[in-house]
Amino acid sequence: MVLKAKFKATTVAVLLSMGLALYSVRAIGGPSASAAQADAAQESWQKEFDSICAQTEDAMTFSQAELTDLIRRCDNLQPRIEKLDESRKKVHLERLRKCRGLYAYVLDAKRLDSKAKEKK
Amino acid sequence: MNNKIFTPLVLILVSCLFCGLALSQTGTKKKRPLPYEYGRVVIDNYSQKADLAPVVFEHWIHRSMFTCRVCHVDIGFAMKAGGTDIKAADNAHGYYCGTCHNGKMVVDGKTVFPACSRKVNLEDEKRCERCHSYGLKVASDFDFFQFSQPLPKERFGNGLDWEKSEQLGLIKPASFLPGVSAPRNSLAVQKDFALNPKVEGMPDIIFSHKKHTVWNGCELCHPDIFMGVKRGAVKYTMVDISEGRSCGACHTTVAFPLTDCQRCHSKPVQP
Repeated sequence: MVLKAKFKATTVAVLLSMGLALYSVRAIGGPSASAAQADAAQESWQKEFDSICAQTEDAMTFSQAELTDLIRRCDNLQPRIEKLDESRKKVHLERLRKCRGLYAYVLDAKRLDSKAKEKK
Repeated sequence: MNNKIFTPLVLILVSCLFCGLALSQTGTKKKRPLPYEYGRVVIDNYSQKADLAPVVFEHWIHRSMFTCRVCHVDIGFAMKAGGTDIKAADNAHGYYCGTCHNGKMVVDGKTVFPACSRKVNLEDEKRCERCHSYGLKVASDFDFFQFSQPLPKERFGNGLDWEKSEQLGLIKPASFLPGVSAPRNSLAVQKDFALNPKVEGMPDIIFSHKKHTVWNGCELCHPDIFMGVKRGAVKYTMVDISEGRSCGACHTTVAFPLTDCQRCHSKPVQP
């Protein structure tokens, strides 16, 4: 009887401490995991931004389809930048506007060119 | 009314009227900036509201170290004075002026002083005044005459041939800021082209894409400054240009001014 009771108490204690340990791991891991997620999200918009705006020098060499795709990527990125803090948002929205503007400008030029060629 | 008072009064009024008419037709003459003043920008979006003197920005110091594109594309400064909504917090977070003025960047062996801080002590006052210096007598670390001495000269603007200075390796403006500029390929050079002026006998303008893209890239000019897609579709006038549009966005403020006619109207007239 005494042994049984001791066994029960030990089991309960072990289970309780395991539960506590699991809870504390979650509690500690929670915020850092979300911070890591936030970092990853930041990194991902930055990567996309760099990837889009790194191609402005090559704008003239792109096809109309490639330019249209770059413009679409700019439009998709904009709402993600709008969620950033004020300073980052202000700077990067302006930079993105410039990149998008150039791609749209070159696309217009190419469309005009191909129309002129069709007429000939 | 007494004639002795009435006649001079009428004379004064008439002469005031004529003076007013004369001034309204011709305007007042603009003072030509001195070489070290050319390109100077006074920024006062929030300074005076914060009991600080407006910021005096000297283009000549900065353009000797960085291309136009680094600041006006990568960092995001607008092309018009006051056009960028720069706040102290932006600088403190490492944006705009704070991109370089962060107390960490080293240029020519010197650590660049930090721009606006979140907390300011009395000791910081001198540091604030390095930029917030409008109307104050602040000694600068940079002396224009010493700086310009070895550089090739020109007649107008800063009195310097910036392009030649770079060609000779006397200045080395950086076109990439690590961590700020997006990594780019080198630009395929677009062909130069001629623009025919309206005035007969005026030499053609030879526009060099090469000269412009080296410092500006593409997106600084297109489409914000030059929005016309088809060549010749947009007519440029000297009036528009002198009011700061198209070429005038830079060539009335920082790049060589419009008074230097033959630097653009450079194609010899055919007999």
